[in-house]
Amino acid sequence: MSPHDSPSSVAPRKLLPALIHPWVWTMAWRDSRSQRRRLLVFALAVVSGLTALTAIRSLKETVETAVDSEAKSLLGADLHIRSRQQIASDKLAEVIRLSEDYAQETGISSMMGFPKANAGRLVQVRGIEGRFPFYGDVRTEPAGAWDQMLAGGGVVLEPALLDQFDLKIGDIVTLGSLELPILGVIVKPAPRSNRFNAFAPEACLSLERLEETGLTGTGSLGFRHLYLKNIDPVQVAAIREQFAQEGWKFETPEDRRDSIGKVLDNFQQFLGIISMTALILGAIGVAGAISAHLARRTKSIAVLRCLGCPAKAAYAVYLVQSVILCLLSSLAGGGLGMILHRAVLEIFKNDLPVAVSMTPPWGILIISVLIGFAVCLAFILLPLSQITIVSPSMALRGESSASIAQKGKGHWFKSLIVRLLAPGFLALMLIFLAVSNIPDTKRAFGIVAGLGVVMLLLWLISLAIINGARKIVQPSWPYLIRQGLSNLHRPLNQTTLFVFSLGLGAFLLLTVLLARHAILEKISLTGTQDMPDIYLVDVQKDQIDGVTTLLEKLKLPLLESAPILTMRITSVKGVPVRALKEKGNVPEWVLRREFRSSYRAGLNQTETIIAGQWPSGNLRGRDTVALSLEEEIAKDLSVGLGDIIDLDVQGLPLKAEITSIRRVDWSRFNLNFFMLFTPGILDDAPGFTIMTTRIPEGMTSGELQRLLVRDFPNVSAIDLTLILETVTSIMEQIAWVIQFVVGFTLLSGVAIIAGSLMNGRDQRIKESVLLRTLGGSSRQILSILLIEYAALGFFSGLAGSVLAMGAYVPMSLWIFETRPWGGFAYPVVITASATALSILAGLALSRGVCTHPPLEILRSQAST
Amino acid sequence: MPILSDQNHRDTIASGSDTVNSPLLETHGLGRTYKTGDHELTVLSDVNLQVAAGESCAIIGPSGSGKTTLLGLCAGLDSPSSGWIRLGGQRLESLDEDRRAELRGRMVGFVFQSFQLIPTLTAIENVLIPLELRGLSGKTREAADLLAQVGLQNRLTHYPSQLSGGEQQRVALARAFIHKPAILFADEPTGNLDAATSEPIIKMLFDLNRENGTALVLVTHDPALARLAGRVISMRAGKIVSQGERHESA
Repeated sequence: MSPHDSPSSVAPRKLLPALIHPWVWTMAWRDSRSQRRRLLVFALAVVSGLTALTAIRSLKETVETAVDSEAKSLLGADLHIRSRQQIASDKLAEVIRLSEDYAQETGISSMMGFPKANAGRLVQVRGIEGRFPFYGDVRTEPAGAWDQMLAGGGVVLEPALLDQFDLKIGDIVTLGSLELPILGVIVKPAPRSNRFNAFAPEACLSLERLEETGLTGTGSLGFRHLYLKNIDPVQVAAIREQFAQEGWKFETPEDRRDSIGKVLDNFQQFLGIISMTALILGAIGVAGAISAHLARRTKSIAVLRCLGCPAKAAYAVYLVQSVILCLLSSLAGGGLGMILHRAVLEIFKNDLPVAVSMTPPWGILIISVLIGFAVCLAFILLPLSQITIVSPSMALRGESSASIAQKGKGHWFKSLIVRLLAPGFLALMLIFLAVSNIPDTKRAFGIVAGLGVVMLLLWLISLAIINGARKIVQPSWPYLIRQGLSNLHRPLNQTTLFVFSLGLGAFLLLTVLLARHAILEKISLTGTQDMPDIYLVDVQKDQIDGVTTLLEKLKLPLLESAPILTMRITSVKGVPVRALKEKGNVPEWVLRREFRSSYRAGLNQTETIIAGQWPSGNLRGRDTVALSLEEEIAKDLSVGLGDIIDLDVQGLPLKAEITSIRRVDWSRFNLNFFMLFTPGILDDAPGFTIMTTRIPEGMTSGELQRLLVRDFPNVSAIDLTLILETVTSIMEQIAWVIQFVVGFTLLSGVAIIAGSLMNGRDQRIKESVLLRTLGGSSRQILSILLIEYAALGFFSGLAGSVLAMGAYVPMSLWIFETRPWGGFAYPVVITASATALSILAGLALSRGVCTHPPLEILRSQAST
Repeated sequence: MPILSDQNHRDTIASGSDTVNSPLLETHGLGRTYKTGDHELTVLSDVNLQVAAGESCAIIGPSGSGKTTLLGLCAGLDSPSSGWIRLGGQRLESLDEDRRAELRGRMVGFVFQSFQLIPTLTAIENVLIPLELRGLSGKTREAADLLAQVGLQNRLTHYPSQLSGGEQQRVALARAFIHKPAILFADEPTGNLDAATSEPIIKMLFDLNRENGTALVLVTHDPALARLAGRVISMRAGKIVSQGERHESA
C-alpha cells in the first residue's frame, strides 16, 4: 500500500477512538521516556495522601465491622441499666422477670490500701454479682481468678497496680474495713461504661464483699448497674418508658455500637480531613507536574499538529499518560494504605475492645483507589485542556504558550466549555471527597469551604510574593541577591507551587502543634499555686474533724470544704420535666442530670455574681429557698431571677427561687457547682463532704493516701496531678496520631517540592551554565541558588505560619479560652524548618551544576 | 533502488503539462492581520501566488517582510484574515483545523530552521511519525533506508540531543520526505547551520525534491540558496514585490 492510499486507521479526530488507537499509546509511552522519574516523584505526593486516606477508611471499616459483629460482647448483655441510686427491690424484681438472666454491679471510686507496700491509692472498684458478662469473655491470670472473685474469694486487679506496689498474687489489700487477697490480674476486662478507669486502675470483687466494706452507703459517689440477658426489644422499650422518671440510663448493644460508631466517625472525620488535604495537595502536585510537563511538550505538540496529528489525538496522548500516572499513584496509595492498615492492626490488636479481622477491606480499597484516581484526574483536566489550543504555527515561531491560542469561529465557546467543565468536575470531586469522608454533610461543605479559603489565600500570597519580588528588587542591590530573588518572579518560576505545597503543609502542622500547645497550656494554667491538687471525696459528717486534724498533722492546708447534696430537677417555672422534655427547648442532659450541689455563705475566687445578690437575696415565695444558679445552666433552662425550680433532694421535695446568677471559671479546679444554696436549710439532708488541699512542692500524696486508707477507708483521695498527667499523656498520644497523619501531608508537600525543583531544575541549570560560560564561579552560582531556595522556603513557611496563627488566635480565644500569644516559638521553628528543607532539597537536586562541563549539561537538557 | 525514487505516489497531483495549468498551491488576495490590544498589525496583504507540482520556489525578503507568515498560511498552520488558499485542489479556509491537519499529513512536508525534532523520540521514531499518524505501521525498513540515504545509517536510535545540528536537520529532511509529500515547506532550513554543514543539506533537499517530484517552497535569507530554486519570490512589508520567471532548478 502506498503512503498516499487512504489508510483505515489514521489517528482519529474524535477523543474516544483516539484513546484506544495504538499510535496514541505508543506515543504516550515514548514521550514519557525522559519524564518518568520526574512524574513519579510528583505521583508520590498522591501516593502519600491516598495511603493515609485508605488506611484511615480501612481502619474505621475494620473496627466498625468488628463492633457490628461483637456489639453484644462490647456491652456484655442485652440491656444495661445504670443508676446513681440503689435500684429499689420491687423495681428490680419487675425488670429482671422480663429477662432470662441478670447481673448487678456497683461501681465506686475508693482508696485501696496495700499493707505490704505500706501505701494506698485510688482505684475504680467494681462489685459484681451474677454471671457477667453474658456475652464475650473475661480473661484473668490465673484463669480461674474471675470465678473465685465472683464467689467472694478476694479481688482481681489490673496488672499496673501489682507492678506499682511490687505485689504478688496472694498478697493482701484493704478496701474499707475489709482485707482481701489478690486472686489474679485482669488480662481482658469485663465490659464497662465507666470513663473514670482511664485515671484509676480497676479492682473487681463480688458485690457481696463490696457491701461488706461499708463503702457503698447512701450518698457515696457510685453507680449501680443492672445487666439483663435475652430481653425482648419490645420489653426494652416498655422498660425505658415505664422507668423514664427514675433517672436511669439505658444502653443496648445497638446503643453501644452507635456510640462507638460516633467515636469512629469522629476519628475518620478528623484524621480524614488531614489525609484528604494530603490527597488534594498531592493532586495539586500532579496537576503542577502535568502542567510543567505539557509546557515542555508544547513545541512537540505543535510539531505533531504540523505533521498531521488531529488535536484530539494529541490530547489523547497526554490524557493517556496522565490517566496512567493517576492510576498508578492511586493503586500504589491504596496498596500502601492496606499495608499501613495491617501494620496498625498488628500493633494495636490487643488494645482494641473487639477482635478485628486482618482481612483487608477490599471494598474500601477499591473505593479509595477510585476516589484517588478521580480526584487526581479532576485536578489534571485543567492543565490538559491547554493542549487543545496549541496551534501548529508554534512550530514555525517561538511563540509562548500564552499566544498560541487558536482563533476561529466558535473556538472561544469551546474553550469556555473546557475551562468550565474541568473546574466544575474538580469542585464536584472535592465535594464528593469531603462528603464521603465526613459524615456530617454540613460540616463537609464547611471543611471544603475552609480548605478552599486557605488554598485561595495561599495562592494570593504566592501572587503577592511574585509581584513583590518584581517590584522590591532594586538594580542597586548586589547582583547575587538580585538574581536569586528575581527567580521568584521570572518565567517558569516555582513560587506558586512552593507556597501551595510547603505553605499548606506548614499550615496544617502548625495548626496541630498550636492546638496541642493551647490544650497543654490550659492544663498547666490550672496548676497554679493557689489551686487545689488533692480532692478528698466522700468525707462523712462525723469524719470532717478527723480528716481536718489529719491534714493539720501533715501540715497540709485545708483549702476548701463543701457539703455535697444530690438532687434532680422536677419542674422549672411550674412546668414538669416530662413536659419540658416533650417541648425539647431545654437540653435533655440538664433535665436528666443528678446535680451535685452545695451550700455556703460566700463565693470562692473563681465565682462572680452577674445578676441578683448572694447570699442575701430577697425571696418572693414563703416556702422557697434561695438558689444561686450558674449562668450557662440558667441559659439552658431559660430562667432568670425570681423564677422557681422544683427539686428532688434524694426523695425530699425542695422549692428553690433563683436569687442570683453566677459566672464560674470552670478551668480552675476549685469546688464549683451549678446550684448553690445558703447554709442552714439543707444542713441535715443526706450527703457527704468534699475537701481540697494542696501538696507542697517536692512532696507526694503517698503519706496522706496511706493514712487515709488506714484511718478513713471510705474517703477517696483524688490526686489531680495524676489526673493531669494522664490527661497530658492522652493528649500527647492523640497529638502523636494527628502528627503522624499530618506527616503524610508533609510527605506530599516534600514530594511536590522535589518535583517542582526538578521541574525548575532545567531552567536553573541552563541559567547557571550560561553564567558559568560567562565566567561565573561555582560559589556565585551556588549563592544564587541558595538565595532563591531560601526565599522560596522562607516565604512558603511564613505564609503557612501566618495563616495558622491567624486561625489560632480566634481558636485560642473562643475554643480553648487561653492566651492567644503563647506558642510563638512554633511558627519560628516551622518557618526555619521550611527554609532549611527548601535549601537542602534545592541544593541536592542542583548537584552537578557546577561540576559538569557546561556543554554536557546543555546537551542533556535539550533531550528533556 | 532508493526509496525516494519511487514515483507511484502522485495520486493527488496532476502530471505533465496539467501541473502548470492547475497549480498545486494557489493563493488569492491573501492577507493576515494581528490584533494587539487596540492596535492592528498587518503582516501580509493581497498576496497572490501559484506553485505548480514539482516546482521549486524560494521566498526571500528582509526580516519582518511576512515570509514565514506566508509559509504558515500556505501550509494551513494559520488562518488568513482575508483572501483564500487552495492546496491540492482544496480551499484551506473551508477546512477546520483537524481537516487541515489531515491534509498536511497527506500532502505536506516540513523542514524548520530549528529542526523541530521531538526530543523524546529517537531519529527513526521521528522519521516514522508522519506514517504512523496515518496508521501505516511496519515501515521501519523504509525509514531506516531513508536515514541511510541522508547518511545517518548509524544514528537510527540516537535521540536529537545526541546528534549534531547538521544531523538533526538531516533527520528532519528524512521525516519530511518519508510520506512522499506533494509539497515541502522549508523555513530557513540552513539558518542554524554553518556553511560546511549547510552544503550537503541543501544538496539533499533539492535531490529529494527532484527525485520525488515534490514541490518545494523555501523561505530563506540566503540569496545563494534562493538562486538554486526554480523561481525566486521577493517580499517586502507583507507584499510580493517580484516573482521571478520559472526556470530549471539546481
